[in-house]
Amino acid sequence: MRQLQLTKEEEKIFEGEMGDAPKLAIRLLYSLGELGEAERLIPIKSAHISGVSYKNVGEGGIEFLKKMMHKVSVPTSLNPLGFDIENGGPVDIDETFHKKQMEIIGIYQKMGVMDSFTCTPYYFYNEPSFGDHISWAESSAIIYVNSLIGARTNRESGPSALASAIIGKTPDSGLHRDEGRKATVVVNVAEKLDYTRFAALGLFLGPKLNRNIPIIKGQKEAKGIELKALSAALSATSSIPMFHVDGITKETSLVSDSPETINVEKSDIDETISKNSAQEEPELIAIGCPHLSSEELDYIARLVKGKKKVGPDLFLFTSREVKARSLESVKTIENFGGKVFSDTCMVVSPLSNNYSKTGTNSGKATFYLPLKGYGNQKVAFMGILDLLKWVIG
Amino acid sequence: MKGRGLSPGKATSDVVVCNQLISPLGEISRDGFVTSGPCENTNITGKVLAFKGGRGSTVGSYTFLELKTRNIAPTGLINEAAEQMVVTGAIISEIPMVDRVPLDVFLKGDRVSMNGSTGDVSILNVKERRVATVYLMHDGNLLLLKRSRDMPSYPGQIGGISGFIEEGETPEQTGRREMLEECSTEDAKLRKIGKEIYVRNDGNLYGITPMIMETRTAKVKLNEENSEFYWIKPGDLQSYKTVPKFQETFLSLLGRTGT
Repeated sequence: MRQLQLTKEEEKIFEGEMGDAPKLAIRLLYSLGELGEAERLIPIKSAHISGVSYKNVGEGGIEFLKKMMHKVSVPTSLNPLGFDIENGGPVDIDETFHKKQMEIIGIYQKMGVMDSFTCTPYYFYNEPSFGDHISWAESSAIIYVNSLIGARTNRESGPSALASAIIGKTPDSGLHRDEGRKATVVVNVAEKLDYTRFAALGLFLGPKLNRNIPIIKGQKEAKGIELKALSAALSATSSIPMFHVDGITKETSLVSDSPETINVEKSDIDETISKNSAQEEPELIAIGCPHLSSEELDYIARLVKGKKKVGPDLFLFTSREVKARSLESVKTIENFGGKVFSDTCMVVSPLSNNYSKTGTNSGKATFYLPLKGYGNQKVAFMGILDLLKWVIG
Repeated sequence: MKGRGLSPGKATSDVVVCNQLISPLGEISRDGFVTSGPCENTNITGKVLAFKGGRGSTVGSYTFLELKTRNIAPTGLINEAAEQMVVTGAIISEIPMVDRVPLDVFLKGDRVSMNGSTGDVSILNVKERRVATVYLMHDGNLLLLKRSRDMPSYPGQIGGISGFIEEGETPEQTGRREMLEECSTEDAKLRKIGKEIYVRNDGNLYGITPMIMETRTAKVKLNEENSEFYWIKPGDLQSYKTVPKFQETFLSLLGRTGT
């Protein structure tokens, strides 16, 4: 099944003439090209790499990154890590974790990757345009840029996005072609959803749809941040790379000939929320998975302005750039008694070093945080207004 | 069985079958256990891990690398339908991987041998037998046969025209021979032949090549292998108790998914 044709230039890289790292990189792309039945590699405009937190990468990962040490050839942004580099936190880190984490960052810096440390690089740093071929990792960002921006990326893993960043190419398969972007399931949602209920919709649909691309109907007023919540929850619980929303996204004409239909009832969403919510007072309210936009920071600032925090800790997570552009809101939240961290989040930091009960409005965090040996949290999954009731006296 | 080879290497180990999607980040712990779903608390170290496919974090590839570095990795991976995060994990961790193998062919306690280059997967101590099954059509109707009470496999159940492929035979030749033996039908035309599917029956694994044939006559003369026959509308198939995977295979031959 050797269909993928390499150019003469690519053959040379494949044979190792450009060094070991490019050889490893192009061989990985070649194998994945065969998996996706690509006939060629195509140039990409950007890459985004996951696999930054030492909690996720581990020792094996560090050795792999050393083997892949090579300058990237396209603009490449980077996912969050285990702590806020400049300000410290959100939780206590031991010396080994800190050292290993900085070793990973050092390797990426030598490769020429941006210091973005965010899962929402599409707000700043790395903003793709409609139709761009890109090679991105980070499940929540992949599904967001495919769906809301109309850029084209497969569900790259950390290592394959890095391989693409080095080579500057990706296999021409799957989501890079119209055929791979077609909706195969129509999802009717009658009730108008908010941020948290969109996240719940993602948790509900992910295991049901498995890998099928849905077109969602009945949500013509959905906002970008709400669809960001859907993106993260849906892609945590499935391998879905994209969705369409009738009346909102730009490629809704891409639908397969005889799609199946799923009707989502209000009770489906209600049950998803109650099933995922431990009814215990959290020790920590964590918001910002995926990382918050300026709009979201401003919204939270308005809710807490002039008040004093009581009860659990309140941590918000965003990127350095968004934080720098929303300084006033950050100050308001800090005056309230909350903290705003950049570079990291509640999922990729070792949260269980300090906490065991966390409240969040993130469907993605609700999926990962309770897992034994990973997040080890009891999670209270609820809307932002309900979460803030714990901390507003 | 023939699957699709995705990551080179060979493995022979006991199989752990997890009928679930798995996010290697979080749903496989760093000490080699599945942490959620039907396989919760199952150790995968030194086993061939068979699961539906990957989901979730794109960092999941590194989980396999970490398990490999700690010498507690699975020896092989089998998926029904692979996606590239798990495949990447298998490749960089040098763990053999094959997909396009159904999970329901494995039973608890099976020992499996797999080759990640060729895609070959076999279950040790299980006899693999090749079978041809004919879905015979006439004038838009489908022929169903009720298997005799004294048939060694699936007695009394309803299926198509079916028989073991003998040495040197193609599946089509077997289909025609069985059609003649079981129904005295000679004149049928081959309309479609499908990919081999696999059905486990205790110590036997049947690799069944399905095909649709069309005959000009509704006349059927049974031999002793079957006790009754019916010509039915394909839409009525659901109301019959048929041999395993009979209905979904027919739908996939027609180009529809069986939902």
